[in-house]
Order: sequence, then C-alpha cells, then structure tokens
Amino acid sequence: MTLAWVGLLARLVTGGVWIVAGGLKITEPDASIAAVRAYQLLPSSVAEVVGLALPAVELVIGVALVLGVLTRGAAVMSALLFVGFIIGIASVWARGIEIDCGCFGGGGSKVGAASDYPWEIARDSALLAASLLIASVRRTRLALDSVLFERRSAPDADVTEGAEN
Amino acid sequence: MSANSKANARAQKAAELRAAQAKRENRRRLLTIVGVVAVMVLIVGGAIGISLLNKKDVKAVAAGSSDYGVTIGDKNAPHSVIIYEDFLCPYCGALEAETRGDLADLAADGKVLVEYRPFNLLGAEGRTYSIRAANAFALVLEKSGPDVAKKFHDLLFENQPSEANADAEAPNDDIIALAVEAGASESDVRDGVDNLSHEDWVTKATDEAHKANVQGTPTIILDGEVFDDGRSVQDLADNLIAAVD
Repeated sequence: MTLAWVGLLARLVTGGVWIVAGGLKITEPDASIAAVRAYQLLPSSVAEVVGLALPAVELVIGVALVLGVLTRGAAVMSALLFVGFIIGIASVWARGIEIDCGCFGGGGSKVGAASDYPWEIARDSALLAASLLIASVRRTRLALDSVLFERRSAPDADVTEGAEN
Repeated sequence: MSANSKANARAQKAAELRAAQAKRENRRRLLTIVGVVAVMVLIVGGAIGISLLNKKDVKAVAAGSSDYGVTIGDKNAPHSVIIYEDFLCPYCGALEAETRGDLADLAADGKVLVEYRPFNLLGAEGRTYSIRAANAFALVLEKSGPDVAKKFHDLLFENQPSEANADAEAPNDDIIALAVEAGASESDVRDGVDNLSHEDWVTKATDEAHKANVQGTPTIILDGEVFDDGRSVQDLADNLIAAVD
C-alpha cells in the first residue's frame, strides 16, 4: 500500500516542521508575541495569548504527527493552522506591511520581506496539502495509532467461546 | 426442540458476549483517546510554562532618570511615558508622527512627563544610520541642551530615510543640516558627527535598553508598565494619548 508510505513521509515532514517551528519559539516568548503583533490582525491581549500558546500547540501537533498519535485529528489541526498562516501572510502582503513571518522564531518588521511572501505562501500551501493527505489516508505506516487502537480483545473472545464448548 | 433451544441459547449467549466485548472495546478506545489527549494537554501546558518562565518583563529605569534620553514635561506630572526608539525604525517614525504633537501639548499642560530614549537597534550589517543619528543626537544634547536635542530628535523622524537605503539617503551632511535647523551651531557638531564622537554613548544607551529587556522598537512604557494596547500603530497612538489625557 504505497499511499500508507506516502502518508508516513508526509507525517514526518510536516510533523518535523512543526516541532522545529514550535521548539524554536517556546524559549523566546517575547519574540513570539511580538511576531504575532507585527501582523496587526489581533487585539493586543489576544496577540499575547496566541504568541504564548501557539508554539506549544505547534510542538504537540508535530509530535503527534511524527509518532502517529491521533493522526487524523492532528492532521486536521495542522491543516487549519496552515490555512490561518496563509491568510495571515496574504493579509500583511495585501496591506503592504513588511514583516518577518516569525514562522521559525524571529518576527517583526523586516526590509524587503514582501519578496519572501510568495515562497512562504507556497511552502505553507505544500504543507497544507501534506496535512490534508494525512487526514484523508485512513492508516499510515508506523503510526502509534495502530498499536493503541488495534482490536486487541478479539483473541480473548475466541478463548472464552472455546472454553464454553 | 431441545437441540433447537440449546442452539438459540448459545447464539444468544454469543451475541451477548460480542456486545459485551464491543462495549469493552469502545470503552478502551475512549480511555485511550482521553489518555492521549490528557498527555497532549500536559505537554501544551508544560511548554507554555517554559515560555512563561522565559518571558522577560521590561524593567526600565523611571522616566526622567536615564542618562540616555531627552525629557519633556513636568517631573511631578500624574503620568509618565518612556518611548524606546531607533531613529531608523519605520514604526517609531509612524508612532512619532501620530503622537508627537499631542504628547508635547499634554506635557506642556503638566499632564505627562515624556522621555524619549533613542538607541541602536537596527544598525548592523553595514548599516550605520541608526548609530550615526543616535550619535548626533547625543552630541547635540551635550552641546546645545535638551530643548535643541528634542527639536533635533523630531526633525530626524520627520526626515526619516527608508530602512532599506538609509545610508545613501541620509549622509552626515544631511544630519548636520537638521542639527543646525534645530538650533545647534555647525561648528559644534560637524566634527563629532563625522567622527562618531558619541559612539560610546550610543553603545551604553543600547546596553541600558537591553538590560531593561527592551526587545523591539518602539517600546512604550506608560507609568512603569509596557503599553501595547493597539492593533496598529494608529490604534496604539490613539490609545496612548487617551490613557494619558
């Protein structure tokens, strides 16, 4: 089943990106909050909460995708976040605001950032597609889900039935 | 008949067993999901905890007590505002344009003490404007006093070069011309601007800003607390003026 292997690859790539993106920001909360503010989309107090919570959520989604735990749920969350990021970058682009996207730490205003926007949107679109693929494949290879949710009690039932006879 | 009923009873028993098994299976599934979600929530909580531990609050020295700024207004005014800025930062320029007139009026009315603290945030990678402008500001402050320095500060922001091409757009001669326009004498500032006579001042001002955990510009401190209530620079400026007035 090649699709299951492609699903594994998509999980590792997307999950790896999330782990790096989240991990780099967790120890730099002030920069993360400033990066969210720089989009000038959210009210200040909301930007602070998002700046603090987003890296943690990114990290957990990444770990879930790499390990293959609650894979489809994690993939859907991942897809939603990428949609949000694409909207965010498109919106600063449209408003003529030049900022570092703050995707992997950093953030804030940056000269000539507009030339990076197309590539950033392309990257996020590719990762969005990968997330949707993972969500659509029922089972991917080497996922912890198949251990956690295998139908373990079936043999037990056979044994009890056998004992009855 | 007895064989038939026996078969029925067996089938029923098997069905019951299957139902019980399905129930156990569902329960286990649910518990697994709950367990995994609980672990995820724990990790999110832990990561947010790490973030909070790493969060640095801005601890600026009180308005009017830094050696690296220029102050307007009454020391005993009910409010104090500190603005950390880089002469090159476009948002600082935008904030200046939005707030300068109102802050000056409010300071003149005795409602607020305002201290502008320029430092070097953006002068790097061969870009010297931030350092040259802050150096000239320090020089003018020393030679011509705070009133001229404040006017020079305003003129630097009114004539702010673009971040991308600052050094070509704003050579030393332009900076000197603005200093003279503000009221400094050219003989006082010419050499110092060309030789970066107050580069040490700029370095120390920058160290002080870093020590205060100022991470970006503009950073506004209202009555000792970081003020960042606003989506855009415009909002921020309006809210700041409303808070002080």
